[in-house]
Amino acid sequence: MKQFLYLFRGGDDGYAKLSPEEMQAHMAKWGEWMLKISQNDQPVPGLPLQNEGKVVSKGGELITDGPYTEGKEIVGGYVLVEANDLDHAVAISKGCPIFDFGGIVEVREAVPM
Amino acid sequence: MRQSLIIMTEHSVNKLVDHFFRNEFGKAVALLTSKFGTQYLEAAEDAVQEALTKAMQVWGYGQIPDNPTGWVIRVAQNKLIDHLRKLQRVYYATQLPETDYESPELPSDEQFKDEMIKMMFACCNPKLSTEYQIILTLKILGGLSIREISSALLKKEETIAKSYTRAKKRFKEINLKLEIPEAEEIQNRLDRILKIVYLLFNEGYKSTEGEQLIRKELCEEAMRLNQLLLDKPETNSQSCRALMALMHFQVARFDARVDRNGNSVSLETQDRSIWDQQHILLGNRYLTTIEDGMQNTYFIQAAINGIHCAAETYASTNWTYILMLYNHLYNLSGNPIVALNRIIPISKVHGAELGLLELEKIKDHECFKGNYLISATEAELLIQLKRTDQAVDKLALAIDLCKNIREKDFLRVKMNRISDSRQP
Repeated sequence: MKQFLYLFRGGDDGYAKLSPEEMQAHMAKWGEWMLKISQNDQPVPGLPLQNEGKVVSKGGELITDGPYTEGKEIVGGYVLVEANDLDHAVAISKGCPIFDFGGIVEVREAVPM
Repeated sequence: MRQSLIIMTEHSVNKLVDHFFRNEFGKAVALLTSKFGTQYLEAAEDAVQEALTKAMQVWGYGQIPDNPTGWVIRVAQNKLIDHLRKLQRVYYATQLPETDYESPELPSDEQFKDEMIKMMFACCNPKLSTEYQIILTLKILGGLSIREISSALLKKEETIAKSYTRAKKRFKEINLKLEIPEAEEIQNRLDRILKIVYLLFNEGYKSTEGEQLIRKELCEEAMRLNQLLLDKPETNSQSCRALMALMHFQVARFDARVDRNGNSVSLETQDRSIWDQQHILLGNRYLTTIEDGMQNTYFIQAAINGIHCAAETYASTNWTYILMLYNHLYNLSGNPIVALNRIIPISKVHGAELGLLELEKIKDHECFKGNYLISATEAELLIQLKRTDQAVDKLALAIDLCKNIREKDFLRVKMNRISDSRQP
């Protein structure tokens, strides 16, 4: 088994129009999906991220508010998943609720140390 | 593995009660609007919407805080304070409470209920039109979206959106205070709220068109709001209890009144075994708490519905008692719709001939102009008298006048059935 990082990007625009009832249904979908992608009976490790942050560059001399690049591309959270290979990891990512609102999943293999 | 999945599921996002987000919306908006003032209703709504969106994003990872209500209130309040601070940086910054990233003191359940009831009195203020009262109640207290409201009320989404904008503007203009009216005023104001609650319920109940799920939720929402009033001694009136009984009896038959294909099923042909006995039991329980209800229109309507619910078959319905109640209701209200609803009980007790005579007296009332129900009722009586040809004519007329597709289908099926029966 190899380790893969899923970065969840975007999807926020669609959230603004959801009714509270739809939000609860969408959250339940995430919960179920998080269980489904787990290879054991433990939740996959991962966390949501705040939208607000800072971008530090030039050795710390330049600090800007960020990462306000393209709204679509802001990383909203990540999880670590185990899979046989990249294709398998991509296959597991299908069915992620982020696709419901036009968000994307970036799948990256972690290099074993 | 399977076992542990189930256990995990119970401990994760699905441990939230049904409609938690929707109910939380009303609670949080009522609380924040009460705290910061009705002029910030819109800002409070936005803040709560954002807080719930954040809850959805964060809790979906599997962890729900021990006190989800507290979490939502805290996040929403901080968002609202940040918003107000930006808005009023120069003038009022010092008067605003500090943004509190620890947990603010959470009101008790009782206080939450009080805030909701105050908001109900505000949304149902007589200075607002009935249309505005309904939309404000559904949006703010019910936590329904504009799309859901439009679907439940069978109206266009943009129509509801426009009405809501105007309703909120008016809400601000009349500068409402969130308070429970004084003792001498409370009865009148409460009657107004009950009227809106029952209107909401009927909006969900009356039509079998559209999405049934959302329509049933509208009924449940009306009952939830009524329950809030029952929980507080000042607002727990006889009318309030009678209305609750009435809604329980009606909602007990919710599923039975539509068949698998979405067609209406008349009371006569409903499968009584699927009536919800739990609701019927509760309806009866509320009715028995009322000592003298005969001056109370909700009580009489509830009693009529209770008799229908108690009958094991349509044929064994106690029509004599039902007719007595209808007569009483008509004397109290003078409502021509009640007079029309009385026709079938009259025919059951005194025969269809008398039913036709009574119908003749009311059919020209202006409120029935173009209404298919007169012809449909007439047809029903003619069927009882086996005057089939006339019944078919009346049904054709009713189908012509009826605008509701489901009802039209229902009448067509009936017409075909009796047309077939007269063939040799």
